Amino acid sequence: MNALHDHAQSRDGMAPEPSADAPVRLPPIRVRTGAGEVAGFLRETGGARNGGFVPLTFPIRWMALPALSGLILQLIGGDFLPVHETQSFAYERELRVEADYVLSVEVRRTAKPPRLTLKMDVSSGQGEICAQLETVLRIVPLNLEPAS
Amino acid sequence: MIEAGMEPAPPDWPRVGDEIRGQSFGPFAREALARYAAVSGDDNPLHLDPSAARAAGLPGPPVHGMLILSCFEPLIVRWRRDLFIARLSGKFLRPVLAGEGIRVSGRVVRRRDVPRPELTLRLIARAQNNDLAILGEATVLYKISGPLS
Repeated sequence: MNALHDHAQSRDGMAPEPSADAPVRLPPIRVRTGAGEVAGFLRETGGARNGGFVPLTFPIRWMALPALSGLILQLIGGDFLPVHETQSFAYERELRVEADYVLSVEVRRTAKPPRLTLKMDVSSGQGEICAQLETVLRIVPLNLEPAS
Repeated sequence: MIEAGMEPAPPDWPRVGDEIRGQSFGPFAREALARYAAVSGDDNPLHLDPSAARAAGLPGPPVHGMLILSCFEPLIVRWRRDLFIARLSGKFLRPVLAGEGIRVSGRVVRRRDVPRPELTLRLIARAQNNDLAILGEATVLYKISGPLS
């Protein structure tokens, strides 16, 4: 999934220690729908409309934030890759460009089957829920080949 | 808040069984995957590094599933511009490899007029070889506050 190379940045002390199958909740994360980021995302995802709106799947990029991507890596462990299995977005209201939001994130690892389930609420600064995401990642072992 | 439900469905409100004409996207070259990785932050080496893809049992880097899922929004907006997409979900079934394109399409599987005009759409994304890559579903509401800009 996202930002697997950011592992070093995850050692910021924000991620609580996980225990088996127990959900891990991150402290609230402040994010912004910057116009440049939105335009770049729209350009690469086949946006059919003119600019000025936030693409529906744009919040997925917030999974690459160091606090979240680091937690994902921590929960998965080495020699494994996360593979996206399912994804959902539920919107109460459209996100606006150049607006501030707050993320509430919960991540749960299950051993059987090996999965990570991430739930993210996107709220306005006034605490109104705007969108909810659920991501399920299958944890796939890498078959590392010996160096030849 | 999106205004949805204070007016009846318009006369041309879709019926169950109506098709959403297919739309093609891609092909997604590896450069396109690198650009998507940059804008989405999804730099999973699985999508960018052929050796990582092989280590995961794939013949080559797969297109990001989220890039494919993102194609449903322009499909729906092109179909009708008076909709608010309240929910979109997808199950990633088979990888689409870098260099391949996809075709997305949809069909109305449920219609509800009260308490607000609402449709459930079955969405599919197929790879070049016609394999089902993503099986998706969307819930869309009649957006009475005006067409999307």
